[in-house]
Amino acid sequence: MTRQTIIDSRKTLPVPDTPSVKQEAEGGCGVVGLACNVPSEGKYLLQSLVQMRNRGNGKGGGIAALGLVAEQLGVSEKILREDYILQVAYLDKSARKQVEDEHVRPFFRVDYESKVEAVDDYRSIPGLEVEPPEVYRYFVRVKPEVLEDFAQKNNLSTLKRNELEDEFVYQNSYRLNLQYYSSLGEKKAFVASHGKNLIVLKLVGYGDDVVKYYRLEDFKAHVWIGHHRYPTKGRVWHPGGAHPFVGLHEALVHNGDFANYHSIVEYLAQRNIHPLFLTDTEVSVQLFDLISRVYKYPLEYLIEALAPTTERDFEMLPEEKKKIYRLIQTSHIHGSPDGPWFFIVARNDVEKNAWQLLGITDTSMLRPQVFALQEGPIKIGIIASERQAINAVLGRLQQDGKIPSRFADSYWNARGGSHTDGGAFLFSAKDGEDGKELECADKFGREITLPEQEWLHGPRADLALNVSVALQLPRKGPGGQDPLGFYEYVRPALRDAGFQYAGEILEELKGLALKGQESRRFAIQTVSLLFDRIYDTGYKKRSSLLQLHHEALNEIFSSVPSSNYDLYARLDWRNRLRLAHPGLDSQVLVVDALEFPVEGDESAARFVVDAYDQGWKNILLYNLRGHRFIGSGLGPRTNGLKIDCYGDVGDYVASGIDGCEITVHGAAQDQAAQILKYGKLVVHGDVGQAFMYAAKGGDVYVLGNAAGRPLINAVGRPRVVINGTCLDYLAESFMAGDPYNGGGFVIVNGLKPSFDGRFVEQEYPYPGGNLFSLASGGAIFIRDPNRNVSRHQLNGGRLVDSTPKDWELIRPYLEENEKLFGISIERNLLTVDGKILDPSQVYRKVEPTSLQELT
Amino acid sequence: MGNLELIVEKHTERIHHGLEALPTLRHGVPEGLGNKRWTGELILATYEQALTGEIPENGLEYKTGNSGGGFDVLGWKSHAGVAKVDEDSVDLSISLNKRHEGRRIEIPLPIYGGGMSFGSISLNFMIARARAARKLKTYTSTGEGGYPDQIVPYRDHVITQVATGMFGVREETIQYAPIVEFKYAQGAKPGLGGHLLADKVTSEVAKMRESSMFTSLYSPFPFHSVYSVEDHKKHVDWIKTVNPRALVSVKVSTPTDVDMVAIGSYYAGANIIHIDGGYGGTGAAPEIAKKNIAMPVEYAIPKVHEYLLSEGVRDEITLMASGGIRTADDVAKAIALGADGCVIGTAEAVAVGCTHCGNCERGRGCQVGITTTDPELSQFIDPEWGEKRIVNLFNAWSKRLRMILAEFGLESIRDLRGRKDLLARYK
Repeated sequence: MTRQTIIDSRKTLPVPDTPSVKQEAEGGCGVVGLACNVPSEGKYLLQSLVQMRNRGNGKGGGIAALGLVAEQLGVSEKILREDYILQVAYLDKSARKQVEDEHVRPFFRVDYESKVEAVDDYRSIPGLEVEPPEVYRYFVRVKPEVLEDFAQKNNLSTLKRNELEDEFVYQNSYRLNLQYYSSLGEKKAFVASHGKNLIVLKLVGYGDDVVKYYRLEDFKAHVWIGHHRYPTKGRVWHPGGAHPFVGLHEALVHNGDFANYHSIVEYLAQRNIHPLFLTDTEVSVQLFDLISRVYKYPLEYLIEALAPTTERDFEMLPEEKKKIYRLIQTSHIHGSPDGPWFFIVARNDVEKNAWQLLGITDTSMLRPQVFALQEGPIKIGIIASERQAINAVLGRLQQDGKIPSRFADSYWNARGGSHTDGGAFLFSAKDGEDGKELECADKFGREITLPEQEWLHGPRADLALNVSVALQLPRKGPGGQDPLGFYEYVRPALRDAGFQYAGEILEELKGLALKGQESRRFAIQTVSLLFDRIYDTGYKKRSSLLQLHHEALNEIFSSVPSSNYDLYARLDWRNRLRLAHPGLDSQVLVVDALEFPVEGDESAARFVVDAYDQGWKNILLYNLRGHRFIGSGLGPRTNGLKIDCYGDVGDYVASGIDGCEITVHGAAQDQAAQILKYGKLVVHGDVGQAFMYAAKGGDVYVLGNAAGRPLINAVGRPRVVINGTCLDYLAESFMAGDPYNGGGFVIVNGLKPSFDGRFVEQEYPYPGGNLFSLASGGAIFIRDPNRNVSRHQLNGGRLVDSTPKDWELIRPYLEENEKLFGISIERNLLTVDGKILDPSQVYRKVEPTSLQELT
Repeated sequence: MGNLELIVEKHTERIHHGLEALPTLRHGVPEGLGNKRWTGELILATYEQALTGEIPENGLEYKTGNSGGGFDVLGWKSHAGVAKVDEDSVDLSISLNKRHEGRRIEIPLPIYGGGMSFGSISLNFMIARARAARKLKTYTSTGEGGYPDQIVPYRDHVITQVATGMFGVREETIQYAPIVEFKYAQGAKPGLGGHLLADKVTSEVAKMRESSMFTSLYSPFPFHSVYSVEDHKKHVDWIKTVNPRALVSVKVSTPTDVDMVAIGSYYAGANIIHIDGGYGGTGAAPEIAKKNIAMPVEYAIPKVHEYLLSEGVRDEITLMASGGIRTADDVAKAIALGADGCVIGTAEAVAVGCTHCGNCERGRGCQVGITTTDPELSQFIDPEWGEKRIVNLFNAWSKRLRMILAEFGLESIRDLRGRKDLLARYK
């Protein structure tokens, strides 16, 4: 009953006189969030925002910070914990007194107020065209008599004190916003945030401009979220329209675009909530606040209300949950956002004093999202639209010596609306024995934990070469061992010995690289193996080893001279105009991509095209930072060209290639290998959304997982091995003919690397409900010895046992897979519970059935 | 002569004869020819223009149809008192790239050919269209079925279409093209992708699209790599990486928020926004979708035009309209409503003998060799003959456009844009 009284109390609020028509078309953006068990400075969030600038258009950006540091704000711990931080943005500085007199002084006990720091002249920030608002920060509590009065007038006396106070603050901000922002006339001021221990700042510009303008580089918080907007309607943009938006104690940023904005507005209107800023994001957080604070749903049910579990995922839930979820869906379906969306929320769970970072994705898995976790001297969780943004943050933290590695210990995607993880993950900074502890769990509360392993301590200089170890290393050079042999040789030591040993090997290899052409080649290939391969790292964290390998590779690449007479020649952005014909056919062009633009006519991708046109057949790129379209623009018949990518390769890698070979030493991102025609692609990691969309062919090997919709609408003869699995919609509308007669197929092994370097089965070889939907050609071979996959997961295909003929077809690809990744057919694929089985007992086949036509 | 040649000879002779005889009206207007939009008279008038290259003078209705709606209820206001200009000096050219960067492309008349895929139409008809585009110094589009080798010689005049199924899209087809057209949707069946039913997926079509023979092909309704505006920008950037010189056209249908789509496309880098209304499309659209969904193009054009004006970007993007543009008068009306030019589909088919029988989706449905890939029937269009017919039609249209402009005292088609005031309700 009390919950309804809160809703009823809002009836007295004035309703906006402008119609609730969406003013800004959203759609595009870059979103990021990070949570840490210790406060981190804004400059780290800045890195990810700079990385993602190409996801925004500079017409809006903002950040939220949660779990702040009292000293930085000039208040005591007590005030920080108990007061509401009312942060008002003044677009018209002269309005301040009036705003304070009407909406602040009469109602609040102001414990501290100050102007939020900013740079003197906004024009000193390149690209910032609109003067950002002047922001004032008030630490407030509602005056007791005001609260009494409020309770009496609105029949809210049964509420707990803190709930009453929350609601007052909420309604007061609404009135302020209505009067000074939303109504017809000039926009003068708006409440940017008003929750506890939470601040929001936003302006017309990019998200990173906010950090720079409001001088947040050294400002500390436990949780940060940030956003770049890409609005396309309207000539005048207001900071009020930028994300994040707040409910009360939460701030939300959003990537996507709803189809049912009006339906949600109606739903909220029935509960006396009226939007003032007229964007999808505002109503999202209003929904969030309604469900969590007013209706007091636990987080799991809140997530269900926003992203309902449907189709087969619903069927897979335990009966208990089905009952409750059915009730939630019935009540909330009209208020459930429909369309591609991904939310990142920073939320102060005041009761539990937990500072939360939550990522929720839509049921149809239409937006990209990556989650990451690293544990070391600090524990940090990051959520973003793309992996590059995550690595940009970790990279900066590592450079500053705060964490041991630029690589997370774990990266994963959420499965929207699923029974597996509910499409949502939460990082929570809770009170622990010794300060805050960071926990990570999915929608159902299942914790994500990392094994207890040691990370790399101390600076590199400590890893001096130990003479005796050096003598143990095999003789190098063309006459000596090959890289693979060397790798196999040091594997056991990499497991048992410490970082010291690993460092020493790398020192030796780096030295080798300087000794001559062949030894440089040996060094590059060997360190690449150490970087790419999965092996047991013992008590040492793999992420720390990767950092060492990454540094060694970069040093080796950087040591390549720019001259044209070596087997290797290096160019970077500054001397790119020196690009000329290779001296020898086998010469390798090493490109430092760091300063090349990520896209456009001067991009790294176009430079690769120029190099190929000059006759280079071996191109190696390093320091990739989300560079897109690598491999595109080369045109037809590029057989003989080999491209290696080191770093964070961006979207669309290997799209449209016709004959060349591309190796990604790491993960690839979204839209990789789109319309790939012919050639080879090897990815030593995961791939993102819409992998190989409309591909026509290719021999493709992926070590990790694919995200949503891999191989959708593919034709011709792609032959693909995915060693992990994917989110869903694998090979939808596949049209790849007859696999036995030159057609295509996909092999899914459903494995993942364990932290001790083995390959173990994932919980489900295929978790989704749309396997091979409406496909009319090709086939899927899925490793499923436990017969986990059921025909209910198909949508028009047929699940059968595989035959010796199938094995003959796929074995050559699995043999190549073994060569590339070390995944042994015998030990990793055909061995089940210690026994080697016949392939027909291990692999099952999904093939097309004839389809009825729609006429 | 071989048997096939005899068949082709017989049928083409008869078809050509019919196309010459019918417009003379000595057999009257055949009952059952056409429909309310493409009336029998209008079809015959089009045959006449395709034959002579002149405006018909035998009283055939060549300006409008009889649908009781759309362009058929829009007419021209009186131009009494307006100083006429010399018809021959009227400039019909428009620019396809109004941005400050990129290649300058102008076409001498405000029209180019719309996408009709190899598979939906015969290769010969496709070649005829390409030849006509070259002759007229304008463009034709490949549609979403790929880029046949036989079209490559005409590449300077061929727009390559990248549609949601990406059939036949390869780097070289993108690199051939001066303009790349992203087809997000088509007006004839908004919310659905392209449909090519099994009977038309011959071995040649299957080879081009790398699919299986005689299996229906449905393109998905969205681009699976584009689910937000920043994805679209990435998509455009991808094409520009493959072919940095290509202009970009975005083809969409006409939902209620078509203006938002237009502005989003502008910001993502498009040079042309092409709105496709519901009156057009081949016969291969499911009945339920045909003509019953999306906004009529005569509403969509002013909506987009005015919106782009209010956003201050109207003169940086070219707005093309399509979907049942049948005559020069339709083109002029579309421009008066706010478009820069029109994209033409069906009218080109009528120029080479389409009778509007509506059997396009069948393997052997088109008896005149247009919308068929049947090895026999598709021979009935001789590419050179087809070229002449289409060129004649557009020459006749050009004469009519000049006539309209001259009478309103306008020296350039660009001055007609947005002149709604010249339109009146037709009685």
